[in-house]
Amino acid sequence: MGEKTDVWQGTLTLMVLKTLESMGPQHGYGVARRIEQTSGDLLQLNYGTLYPALLKLEQEGYIRSRWGTSENNRKAKFYELTKAGQRRVRKAAAEWEQTTEILARFLAPAEEA
Amino acid sequence: MRRLRALWMRFRGLCQGQQADNDFAAEVKSHVAMHTEDGIRAGLSLDEARRQALVRLGGVEQVRQAYRERRTLPLIESLVSDAGYGLRGLLRSPGFTAVAVLTLALGIGATSTVFTVADAALLRSWPASEPQRMVRIVASTPQGADYSFSYPDAVDLAAQSRTLEGIIAYARYAATIHSGSESQALLDEVVSPNYFSLLGTDPGLGRRFAAAAQSGQPCVVIGNAVWQRFFGSDPELVGKQILLSGRNYTVVGIAPRGFRGMTAFIPAELWFPITARYGASERGFRGFELVGRLRPEFTPAQAQAELEATGQRLAQAYPAVDKGRTVTVISERQRLREAATPTAMLMGAVGIVLLICCANVAGLILARGDARRKEIAMRLALGATRFRIVRQLLTESMLLALIGAGLGLIVAVELFRLQSALMPPAKFSLGLDLHLNAAAILFTIAVSMLAVILCGLLPAIQATKMSCAPALKSDERGGPPRRFTLRGSLVVAEIAMAATLLTASGLVVKSFLVSLKMNLGFDREKHLVFFDLGPGYDLARSAAYFQQAETSAAALPGVRHAALAQRMLLSDFGGGAEKRVSIPGIELPQGQTTIPVKFNAVDSGYFQTVGTHLLDGREFTMADGPHTARVAIVSRTMAERYWPASTAIGRQIVVDGKPCQVVGVAEDAKIIQPHEALEAYIYLPFAQWPRGEASLILESEQDGRPVIAAMRNVLQTMDRNAPLDVRTVDYLMQQAFWEDRITAAFVGILGLLVIFFGALGLYGVISFAVNRRRREIGIRMALGAERNDVVRMVLREGMAFAAIGSVIGLIASLLTMRVLSSVLYGVKPTDPLAFAGSVAVVISVSLIACWIPARRAASIDPMQALRTE
Repeated sequence: MGEKTDVWQGTLTLMVLKTLESMGPQHGYGVARRIEQTSGDLLQLNYGTLYPALLKLEQEGYIRSRWGTSENNRKAKFYELTKAGQRRVRKAAAEWEQTTEILARFLAPAEEA
Repeated sequence: MRRLRALWMRFRGLCQGQQADNDFAAEVKSHVAMHTEDGIRAGLSLDEARRQALVRLGGVEQVRQAYRERRTLPLIESLVSDAGYGLRGLLRSPGFTAVAVLTLALGIGATSTVFTVADAALLRSWPASEPQRMVRIVASTPQGADYSFSYPDAVDLAAQSRTLEGIIAYARYAATIHSGSESQALLDEVVSPNYFSLLGTDPGLGRRFAAAAQSGQPCVVIGNAVWQRFFGSDPELVGKQILLSGRNYTVVGIAPRGFRGMTAFIPAELWFPITARYGASERGFRGFELVGRLRPEFTPAQAQAELEATGQRLAQAYPAVDKGRTVTVISERQRLREAATPTAMLMGAVGIVLLICCANVAGLILARGDARRKEIAMRLALGATRFRIVRQLLTESMLLALIGAGLGLIVAVELFRLQSALMPPAKFSLGLDLHLNAAAILFTIAVSMLAVILCGLLPAIQATKMSCAPALKSDERGGPPRRFTLRGSLVVAEIAMAATLLTASGLVVKSFLVSLKMNLGFDREKHLVFFDLGPGYDLARSAAYFQQAETSAAALPGVRHAALAQRMLLSDFGGGAEKRVSIPGIELPQGQTTIPVKFNAVDSGYFQTVGTHLLDGREFTMADGPHTARVAIVSRTMAERYWPASTAIGRQIVVDGKPCQVVGVAEDAKIIQPHEALEAYIYLPFAQWPRGEASLILESEQDGRPVIAAMRNVLQTMDRNAPLDVRTVDYLMQQAFWEDRITAAFVGILGLLVIFFGALGLYGVISFAVNRRRREIGIRMALGAERNDVVRMVLREGMAFAAIGSVIGLIASLLTMRVLSSVLYGVKPTDPLAFAGSVAVVISVSLIACWIPARRAASIDPMQALRTE
């Protein structure tokens, strides 16, 4: 296991959206844990930064929130994707794939030659 | 789009406050609890699990702060709290606030007023749709630009033009409107039939007016205000007949609200189509001004070339009237360019006033910032950034400027109302259309923002330029007091300016008072009433009408004398009328055969009625009728100029080719206005030089009002439709001395304003100095200085500014007052009283301005001042 990486600016949004897409409604703590697990514990997420990011997405209308009860019978605030959010995930994911694909070509020039 | 939504949500977040905070606190709590549970499940102790949860979260307070900053708009939030803080601070020092706000209100109000005046007088365009397509048509002649054209020329210019859609011709006249027993003179425009359609603001009205004008029936368009005032906004009025100047006109339409015709300063209220009566077919009568509308596809330069060519053809076709005239075009852009210079000058002048205001307020803020050093140092020490504090101080200035701007707008609106009081007394309401429009309000806001930066930035930077430790420790205000600072010189300059202006206003006011007593050549103390009569009959019937009016007037109770004269006293209306006079046996200068001499035709009662004294010879009598030998009375100046050695009585003069015998010499009287130079003048018998208009002069025993009412009745029974216009001698005097009065008021107010600002600046500088020297004063008092000594010390410092300023001001006055000598009457430009008065005012106002901080200095408790060490 290598060094833990901080989350890059801008990618957190996509991770949050993707997580919510795959898991359905989830509370903040759950989203955070899931992101860490999905990254294979390579990411060191500062949980505190998650909440302003969630708020921003909510203000932009990509997600909505309501209070509910967790699996452990705890009161928690659940976030879920809106229609706009679902569109956004698809679009952002496609863009991101393209970007990484382009970058990958640059990083592996030997195969081309 | 999403960003906008987020911004809006954050804006809404501003108002959610406590509840949203609690909501997030609960969310964080549940987060920590879940994380802790997971920790315990992984085998940690409760405390350790909780500690790790908090560490991973990054601190509850930090998260809440970050969340809060995202939830709302921190910039606005801090702005609101700054404003609240600033407002409380301003309320704590009401004296400072009042003075600063008042100063800014005066400065901003003056600036907005001047801007609005410049906008209304110079910048505002034609009252037309797409005004940028309007062009003025002028003729350049060897004598300079000429704006007047004859109507046939206008028609030819329009007919031969491809570049112009059409040409409007207009001329200004006056008409009388009769309503009930009252009649009032209104300004009107006599205009070409295409006037309203080419202006294009009301197409329906344009069509109706053009059609009515073609029909040749007498018709009129009335202004919106007239419609309301005289006809109670009668919706059925269009199509009806109304009586104007004794004739019936069909109302074609009502002009759009606020429409004032073509000249900014002279608002028209009636519009008549041009007819033969107004010289529509005389090519020699140049009574109209022209404005054309460009077709969209042509440029002003093309129109210029075309009209110039047409003008040349006209000059060839009608050399007698049009030779030497070149037709040119002034485009809207050109007009604005020409207006730019006077506008800039006006704005520059008022800009200086605003600058002085801002400098004064900056001085006050600076003095206040000095008193708040400790507070600011404390906040810096507690971790506020300098930028944050500057922002907070600027918010405070912004508040001042906003309140100042609000009050300034009120000041401006009040000043607009003054306009009617400032206009010369006239039968018509002259004046510009002044109201606050969007441009003026925007301009005011821009000016206030400028004021904020000017007033606030420098003191704010100054106040935060310190290292906290020494500022916190002591009351020391840093550095020895500097005497000749920029602010000090500014104050001296203000006082000098005030002294100069006060001297000028002293001179002007004294001259005004003296001229009120000047000998005008008639008795202004008499209760004289003047009726302008012009029944519109032929000469014989007019003469009978005048005779009957005079006889009935003389018989009215309360009337001492009655007389007829062709023209009124001291009125520019017809006052310049002249006769060509030659004097047998006298060689006229430059080989002229005749000289122009101003005259009045009067009847036998005139001299007695108005109180003009006869110096020699006799008055006219009833015997000087149309069939007896022609006679004349000359003025003293005329008699002394042409017969210096002997008497003028019995001499012959030839008036308009008719020989007359001089039978009397009258004292000199002012003809058009009080300050004119004396000139030769002749009186002729009204009966021998009859006219269709005359002024009936009554001398009543007391106040003329009952006589006016009675005489009105008499005249109305004689002919209901004959226009009549009444003026009293008081009104004439007001009109005659209007310029003197306005000059005196204007210079006086300006002087007072500047001395107020000077005093304010002085107060700021001295307060500042006193604050800086608290400790020094404390030590002096501890060492035995009396309160009086302290007061004297502070006063001495302040009065030094006042003295230097006054001396400079007086020298400047001595050098510049010569300029005034042309407007001064009976006062020398070096009048010692005016100079002494100006110095007295400057010194006493300065004393008051210094007295307040001096008292404050004297009330310093030495123990306290020293203990703050």
